Amino acid sequence: MNCYLCDRVMTLQVTWRSIFFNEQGDVVCLRCQTEFERIKIGCPICSAVGDEKCLDCCKWENTEYAGLINSGRSLYRYNPAMKEYLHRYKFLQDVILSEVFVKVLQETLRNEKSVIVPIPMNEEKLKKRTFAQVDRLLDAAGIPYIHLLGKNEVGLGGKSKAERTALQDVFWWNGKPVPEKVLLFDDLYTTGSTLRLAAKVLKEKGAKEIKVVTLIRA
Amino acid sequence: MTQLEEFLTGRIWLRQFIPFSNEQVNQAILNGSITVRLGIVDGKQCTRCLEKSPEKIIPFYCDACQKICYYCRHCIKMGRISSCTELITWSLPTPLPLQSHSFNWTGNLTPLQQRASQEVQKSISQKKDHLIYAVCGAGKTELLFSPIFEALNKGLRVCLAAPRTDVVLELTPRLRAAFPNTVIHSLYGNAPEENGFAQLVIATTHQLYRFENAFDVMIVDEADAFPYSYDLALKRAVDKAKKKDAPTVYVSATPSKLLLKQVSQVSQIFKRFHGHPLPIPTFQSLWGYEKVFAKDQIPKKLVDWVDQKIEKHEPFLLFFPTIELIEQAIVLFKHKYPAIEAVHSQDEKRKEKVMKLRRGDIPGVLTSTILERGITVPNVQVAVIGADQSIFDAAALIQISGRVGRSSEYPDGEIIFFHNGITRQMDKAKKMIISYNGGL
Ligand SMILES: [Zn+2]
Ligand SMILES: [Zn+2]
Repeated sequence: MNCYLCDRVMTLQVTWRSIFFNEQGDVVCLRCQTEFERIKIGCPICSAVGDEKCLDCCKWENTEYAGLINSGRSLYRYNPAMKEYLHRYKFLQDVILSEVFVKVLQETLRNEKSVIVPIPMNEEKLKKRTFAQVDRLLDAAGIPYIHLLGKNEVGLGGKSKAERTALQDVFWWNGKPVPEKVLLFDDLYTTGSTLRLAAKVLKEKGAKEIKVVTLIRA
Repeated sequence: MTQLEEFLTGRIWLRQFIPFSNEQVNQAILNGSITVRLGIVDGKQCTRCLEKSPEKIIPFYCDACQKICYYCRHCIKMGRISSCTELITWSLPTPLPLQSHSFNWTGNLTPLQQRASQEVQKSISQKKDHLIYAVCGAGKTELLFSPIFEALNKGLRVCLAAPRTDVVLELTPRLRAAFPNTVIHSLYGNAPEENGFAQLVIATTHQLYRFENAFDVMIVDEADAFPYSYDLALKRAVDKAKKKDAPTVYVSATPSKLLLKQVSQVSQIFKRFHGHPLPIPTFQSLWGYEKVFAKDQIPKKLVDWVDQKIEKHEPFLLFFPTIELIEQAIVLFKHKYPAIEAVHSQDEKRKEKVMKLRRGDIPGVLTSTILERGITVPNVQVAVIGADQSIFDAAALIQISGRVGRSSEYPDGEIIFFHNGITRQMDKAKKMIISYNGGL
């Protein structure tokens, strides 16, 4: 089999796990895997560099979004390899690349007690992209999730930060019962406003504790 | 010709990315001048690149169609093709372009080049495939000038395709200088947009996926591995891009046996344009070099070789079998010789580093096989580390040896194969080079 990212032939690694548990082999070669940078320590909300709550997350605590997110983590830094990956996955629409982070997502989310809720895509954008990139990451890893939110057409791109934070109605509740413990999952944490807007809606509808997990911290 | 016609003639294009208004395209579809086709057809084959292996044609749940669609990974970098994307082609025949061409080249061909040039011209006019079997540094581009000029004057559309972008970039200015009145498009990944109808197209073989039934003459440079292995896809691209009965001219320093068998018209040039013989490789054992590198050391013989080149101020290239070994070795080399650089295929600064070597700003470069063709560094000295590894087959070794002694000021130079045991491929490469030089 060839590496999904660099297309070089990978020597098949047969381990006892692959035989007894029929565990899926890696789809990315060792060399490409080491190009990605795992986050070991960072802000307890967003995993920004540092070992305490970052400045941005502290600032959020002085707004109406204070306390919405109870804890969180991001799994990878947005380094050149990750930028390239996201470009290929999202913009070139190479859907199969949803399998690249299967193992890490399983490790992170397999024993999760909260109900996992992916950040949804706007319907129109979904039709254009042809696949929901956040859902597909979870699907590839076999992680169960439910959708509780819908997203309006207003895109966040191009708006100033003030306008962004003013966008109250980006997400709407889809009417399904909201559990007490929710884990919001997204692909990329940039400013943190998307996740807070989503968390706000869910807390208003009954969620008591909200964790966030993102694949990448920009 | 309308702009839309100029753009689309001979091309196969993703409808959603065409640089014309939807209205214009719709009208052309209605009046029958544009044909629409689906991206992946029933047999799960990509309509653009003709790929059909299940590793490359991937099923997915398509939210646009709300069903399972397929997409092609093989040509995805040119915009994803899926079952539900539309490709468009111009369905009317190409009118004879009314361009006048001029030929502006004052160089001289050697008698061997001259003869090959005439032979190619004859094959093209008889619509026969042709092979130019020429050693590295024989001056193959120049001998193509006159056959290309004749074809252009006859109103034929000509394509010069090469596997790698570097070669396209090198050829383009030379052809633009030789044919100053001709509209020439130069196509490679991320190339700037070109306008009008080009009667001469210089393109990477990859870019040929975007053509269909377009060319009256197809010239394939560096057709070395044709028609084998990964080049199968490129072979398909070449066949699809040219018109059905259009002749193909293959250019190669190391043609495969099959190509030699398939093409009956062959011009051989086993002499370099400067008339000097090809440098012959020497073999030098470098036992257990991988273990030495793993112990964070550079093998002694290699250090001696590099020291010697640096002392004489001779630029050098060190070819390595794997990227992993380059990454291991460059750290050690940098420690000893800070100015040395390494390049690999995804290196954006590749061209820059080669220029530095050419200018003498850096003493040498560690490289994978990507630099084996298309670069000329005067007085360059070359060593292959691990010449016994399977990636270095005879063709690759001949190409690498061909880097040495290309310029007439420095027709000599050293080519050395460091090895862990002499392989048949090494022997074959050496024998071939000796035979090109006229001895056996
Ligand atoms: Zn890889
Ligand atoms: Zn394709």
